[in-house]
Amino acid sequence: MPRPDEPSRRFFLRSALLAAAGMIGSGSLLESERLLAAHGADPNDPEVPNEEVARILQEISGGKPIRRGHLSLDMPLVAEDGRIVPVIIESDLPMTAERYVKGIHLIVDHNPDAHLAAFQLSPAIGSVSISTRIKMKRTTWVRAIAATNTGEIWAAYARVQVTLNGCG
Amino acid sequence: MNPSIGEARIRVPDRVVQGDLIVVNAIISHPMDTGFFRNADGQPIPAYFIKDVVVTYGDQEIARFTWTSGISRDPIISFTLKADREAPLGMVWTDNKGAEFKQSADIKFASA
Repeated sequence: MPRPDEPSRRFFLRSALLAAAGMIGSGSLLESERLLAAHGADPNDPEVPNEEVARILQEISGGKPIRRGHLSLDMPLVAEDGRIVPVIIESDLPMTAERYVKGIHLIVDHNPDAHLAAFQLSPAIGSVSISTRIKMKRTTWVRAIAATNTGEIWAAYARVQVTLNGCG
Repeated sequence: MNPSIGEARIRVPDRVVQGDLIVVNAIISHPMDTGFFRNADGQPIPAYFIKDVVVTYGDQEIARFTWTSGISRDPIISFTLKADREAPLGMVWTDNKGAEFKQSADIKFASA
């Protein structure tokens, strides 16, 4: 036998949840949507955390859409020592005199200096396959952004969990 | 024994066939201090890091890297090179105090 209070209780719970979600969402969602819109990114991309990262992305892309693809960013899921975190960036984009990747940018969202490195390249290197080691302050998204000579912008993202702060 | 600051090594394959895509590995000894740490006496350690790396092949500049102190201590970097001629692969690392460190490796083709 159905309990008489069931429908109204469900209704109440649902509306309370929706209201709570609305309240939590309104501030941060609007902010992140505004920052996302500023660099024309996909809604599935990592949220742009602050004005500094938004400015760096704008500077690299020149306002062109930043699309995922043609680039891989290989990093550990968990970095136990934030002082030494390996990074491998590779791309299948051509490196010919006519079409090539002219720059690769490495951005670590929550590092003190988020625009960690830029690699200016030329067709002479033959392929994009760069590896190095970086420092990370805390758990955050890392972005690799490639800019081609023809004006395309490609990106790859990696979320890295950091156990020991490597930045001080 | 620790190598001194600026000591650099570049490794390229010894036997290269013309047109090969080879891997270049480079390392330089440098503290890459961020400026956020203090020494044992509580004194801040000033920022001291490689900020610019220029890569040349023969007399052609083929790549240039702009770094911050976010690159780990004793920076390593590897990248590829289209070995289309016999020429030295040179690198110049410049730190934020203006010191320049140079190293090079010869790209030589294996005689068949």
